[in-house]
Amino acid sequence: MSIRSQLLKGILDGCVLSVIEKEPVYGYELSKKLQSSGLQDVSEGTIYPVLLRLQKNNLIRGEMQPSDSGPNRKYYYLTEEGHSALSDISREWEQIVSPVTSLLKRGHHDD
Amino acid sequence: MMIEAKQLIELNNQKRTGLSEENEKYYSDFLIYMRLQLSLSEQQTEEILMEILDHIIDGQREGKTARMILGDAPKAYADDIIEQLPTEKKRNVVTFISSLALNLLGYFMLFRGLLLLIGPMFKDISSEVYPVTSGILVLIIFISSLIGVKIIFSIIKHSLFKEKQTPVKDSIKAGTMGMVSMGIIICATYFLPDLGPSFLFPWYASFITGGTLLGTSYLLKK
Repeated sequence: MSIRSQLLKGILDGCVLSVIEKEPVYGYELSKKLQSSGLQDVSEGTIYPVLLRLQKNNLIRGEMQPSDSGPNRKYYYLTEEGHSALSDISREWEQIVSPVTSLLKRGHHDD
Repeated sequence: MMIEAKQLIELNNQKRTGLSEENEKYYSDFLIYMRLQLSLSEQQTEEILMEILDHIIDGQREGKTARMILGDAPKAYADDIIEQLPTEKKRNVVTFISSLALNLLGYFMLFRGLLLLIGPMFKDISSEVYPVTSGILVLIIFISSLIGVKIIFSIIKHSLFKEKQTPVKDSIKAGTMGMVSMGIIICATYFLPDLGPSFLFPWYASFITGGTLLGTSYLLKK
């Protein structure tokens, strides 16, 4: 597994939760939004095991309803627990991201 | 709004006709593999199957293939999904198996009743029943069908996700298996001695029992 996909795997839950927080989406929309945010190498299928796990942990819930294009789709909503999990994840992320960025920048400078 | 598993399966069958040949092959293997996991919740399995089918259909419109969407390792992908799905409730499993068993036994009783009614016109048939012997026989039939189902499932599972299908080899395997278990059942019927006490169980009693069993099985399913 490449470094990039290992890193992504760790933070994908947070990314999925934050897309759903902005507005309820169904699977195809979710993968579009992740890709257009720049995470182009998240292969589309990988979101489904993530969605199932998040549902199992009660962070999101799915609801069948008519989509813009017509047919019924399963839309995902953030639950109460999902909201608090997302704030935890983004807080943790902020605490990691700036020290890691400065550490790695110096490393790059030394090369 | 919840759509029941049965309707989802129906809808899935309709939607699948919209897939390209390549996507249909890829998705069908995935679908069969998922549905063979009998311990999983049927409702949840059908819901995720429908979501992924919708995704492939949407992707197909934009020129993507199922392989591009779900990856080159469909079996590993399916296993990832399976790991996250909840198992079927025990109650549902017990109801399903007992209604199946009652159904089989019910038809057997009706058949026996018919045989005892018509048979004596041609040949002497005893309507005596040995409960111990019959019990052993039922157990043998039950276990060999269970093993048979297991083996057939594993043959199907092995035939999935392959470039080259081997239908002839698979049919021979399944056929041999069927003959062996049929042979065991016939031998058991033939050679099992009459054990323990016996009682008369005439054709009309057989009919009534069969009808009652089928009725119970029908009620259980509802």
